[in-house]
Amino acid sequence: MASPSESAVSATTMRLATSGFIDSFNPFTSIYLTPTNALRYMYENLVQYSAEDGSPTEGLAESWETEEDGARWVYKIREGMTWSDGEPITAEDVKWTYDQMMEDDLMGTANGSLVSNFESVEAPDDTTLIINLTAPQAPVPGQEIPVVPEHIWSEIDNPSEYPNDADVVGSGPYILESYSPNEGFVLKANPDFWRGAPSIDQLQYVYYTDNDASIQALRAGDIDFISGLTPQQFSALEGEEGITTSSGEGRRYTSIAINPGQVTRDGEAYGNSSPALADVEVRQAIRKGIDSQALLDNVMDGQGVHATSFVPASYETWMLPEDDPSIMEFDPEAARTQLDEAGWTEGADGIREKDGEKLTLTLQIDGSDPTEQALSEYIQPWMADIGIDLKVEATDSDTLSANTTAGNYDMYFSGWSLGPDPDYQLSINTCANLPTDTEGNGGTTQDGYCDEEFDSLYEQQRTELDHDARVELVHEMLAMNYTASVQVALYYPNQLEAYRSDRFENFTKMPTDNGIIANQSGYWGFMDVTPVGESGSGGGSQTGLWIVIGGVVVVAAIVVVVMISRRKKSADIE
Amino acid sequence: MSNAVPPSTSAIQTTAQAEEPQRDSSFWRYLGAKLGGAAISLVMVVLLGFFAFKLLPGDPVAKIARERPMSAEQIETLREQYGLNKPLFQQFFDFIGNVFTLNFGESYVYRRPVSELIGQYFWPTILLTGTAAILAIALGLWLGQRSAWRHGGMFDKIASGVSLVFWSVPTFWLGLILLMVFGGTLRWFPTGGMRSPGAPTDPLGLTLDVIAHMVLPVLTMVAVVFAQYLMVMRSSLIEEMNADYLTTARAKGLREDLVRERHAVPNALLPTVTLVFMHIGGLIAGAVTVETVFSWPGLGKLTFEAIQGPDLPLLQGTFVVFSAIIIVMNLLADLIYRQLDPRVRRA
Repeated sequence: MASPSESAVSATTMRLATSGFIDSFNPFTSIYLTPTNALRYMYENLVQYSAEDGSPTEGLAESWETEEDGARWVYKIREGMTWSDGEPITAEDVKWTYDQMMEDDLMGTANGSLVSNFESVEAPDDTTLIINLTAPQAPVPGQEIPVVPEHIWSEIDNPSEYPNDADVVGSGPYILESYSPNEGFVLKANPDFWRGAPSIDQLQYVYYTDNDASIQALRAGDIDFISGLTPQQFSALEGEEGITTSSGEGRRYTSIAINPGQVTRDGEAYGNSSPALADVEVRQAIRKGIDSQALLDNVMDGQGVHATSFVPASYETWMLPEDDPSIMEFDPEAARTQLDEAGWTEGADGIREKDGEKLTLTLQIDGSDPTEQALSEYIQPWMADIGIDLKVEATDSDTLSANTTAGNYDMYFSGWSLGPDPDYQLSINTCANLPTDTEGNGGTTQDGYCDEEFDSLYEQQRTELDHDARVELVHEMLAMNYTASVQVALYYPNQLEAYRSDRFENFTKMPTDNGIIANQSGYWGFMDVTPVGESGSGGGSQTGLWIVIGGVVVVAAIVVVVMISRRKKSADIE
Repeated sequence: MSNAVPPSTSAIQTTAQAEEPQRDSSFWRYLGAKLGGAAISLVMVVLLGFFAFKLLPGDPVAKIARERPMSAEQIETLREQYGLNKPLFQQFFDFIGNVFTLNFGESYVYRRPVSELIGQYFWPTILLTGTAAILAIALGLWLGQRSAWRHGGMFDKIASGVSLVFWSVPTFWLGLILLMVFGGTLRWFPTGGMRSPGAPTDPLGLTLDVIAHMVLPVLTMVAVVFAQYLMVMRSSLIEEMNADYLTTARAKGLREDLVRERHAVPNALLPTVTLVFMHIGGLIAGAVTVETVFSWPGLGKLTFEAIQGPDLPLLQGTFVVFSAIIIVMNLLADLIYRQLDPRVRRA
């Protein structure tokens, strides 16, 4: 009898553990991480992010130029590309896709913000696409948005409700082959992909609800790739035979948000932060009192990069440089001096006071998150050391999110994942993204930061077509935000991954030097992966199977024997 | 104690026949009362299911939209889609109106009707917990009566001791240890899921594959819960041990095994049966942990994921279904108890 795992898993199927939600594979409406990543593989964008550093590179368009100072973008679509069903890919497909998102709110659920600056899209011929913008912009339009085949999608009655989980026609390196909601999904290599078909035939995503269970699956050879490990899990896998670990600079920052006092867009104050935090001197003193390098070394096992601002080090060009004049080092002495000068003098109990008020602050943490607990255990004594009485309040993540939305916090741990262009993250630090009501709704502000000078720099960088000049502007903005200290970026956690190197090799990292394999902004991670000879990792579950069968047979035999012997003895009468 | 009239199986039949006309009407009254009680519990659960989850802090849409480059307008569109911009009382009436047609609305995460999702995840849970329940009950009852018969002996000490140790162990931890040893290190059994991806689809291959996947989760569940059956059986049998009818049975010259199996055990089973049914309800709720550890595609895993969402319609749906299963099991316990014990019937 053939073993189930051996006959099904050929050498060119790679199995990946996944635990993420899947709402659908509809590129217009799907918003969860797992399907969004699958969609990156399934549909090529007009403009792709490069593996090297995330800079714009060829997608469906092989070149583009700007007219009217960046208000009009003209793209040359590559000739001879086909969808996976053999139909040609044309500029008309791109126009149709963008038009749907611009015309219908529901079709814009996932990526609507990326076309909000589009005025109109033209496709004068099969290989030319023109995007007219309402205002000039520097970030290349047409990144991040999956382009779908018009000949398929225009036939669908209600495209925003379409699950798109069967008979998928796509253009990227891998196309969805099958999806079973409770077990996993399979992506199949697309031989028609314009860069050439990937080396392995299939990516098979298998559901593991529990992260520790998927680690055992990797050890057992039930899966070949796993991402999102904790530093402890990572170091436990290091040195395991046949497994290679990879610690890559990720897309995230981890910060501690400091509430400067929240206001709505109309200037109405809301929330209940400590009035002491309205003073930038106090916020800067807190920054100087936190040894973020020690946090990275001790809490994260050194698996990360020391942070400057909210743009992670994996986007090296945009990141605020370590040697920027605005950078403040860890210096408790300077922190104490700064608090003294701000009028907060040390009381008898070592806690600072001003006008009879003690400098007591609250740090809210998610009690279910061991990292936040560990971080707070370091930060609390550091604050005491500079004369701040910091109370740590553990709560659940839902309460925490409700509190922070309503502006009811002094400090809490925060963080975001960023795309390769910093424009969006900068935009949510402008006054225009403050909430519209005093419950914190109607805006998407990152930390409640608002500064008119920052806003005017934001407009400048958004229209600055000269790359170097734009980088300068972004650095200036990050430095401003750094100085204001409405948040202290602590570190950029590395994305920790591991794979069966006895089965596969040639994973592509993004950025190429020291980046990540899964969850990239591009589709590079598994494109060049090749199998490493044959391996017998499928034998494990077969052994289990025979044990079960053996067990069942033995039990059945015992039962039969017992029954027969009982029969004989039933001569006993009452 | 044992001075109550011991009803043997034959006694039950005679009594039933003798009181046939009376039994009929009182049986229906009893059934009606129990069904009514169950229905009221179910209604309470439905009401609680709505408000308990509405009271949860936090905004599901804010959580879903977090860390995505979304504008405030997009977030508002999502909120409308989920019906979250409606006033609470209207959401409540929508919910009540729907729930009696078994429509719990559409899951935020899966974008599919909750009833369809529950239908899909229901049977794997029944398969897993059903198997575990049968094995745990069989093991627990058998060990329990053996332990009771020679209570204080070596067998009793070992069986009771071991079962209590497992009972005290956190399910999550035991599951992970089994997974690590038999899945990760020894590689005897699969590490999760219900089927190997791309496993054979012929009936035999499929069955064997599913059985291999069931071994570790079933083992975990059985190990953790068999103690309660063992303890119930043990204590009720010990209560019967000094009964006069056992002396009679022995006096007739029956072998010790037969005295135990034919006379003592049937009487001791009475209190055990009800408890068994009540515990089955708890066992199904306990599936959340085991299914999460072993990635078993059942209702427990669905609930675990819904909590993380938080996927309110899905949570409401699984909450009502779990509660309904427990209510039905308790109802069955009541009915079976009455059927087995004539004293309850006469009262």
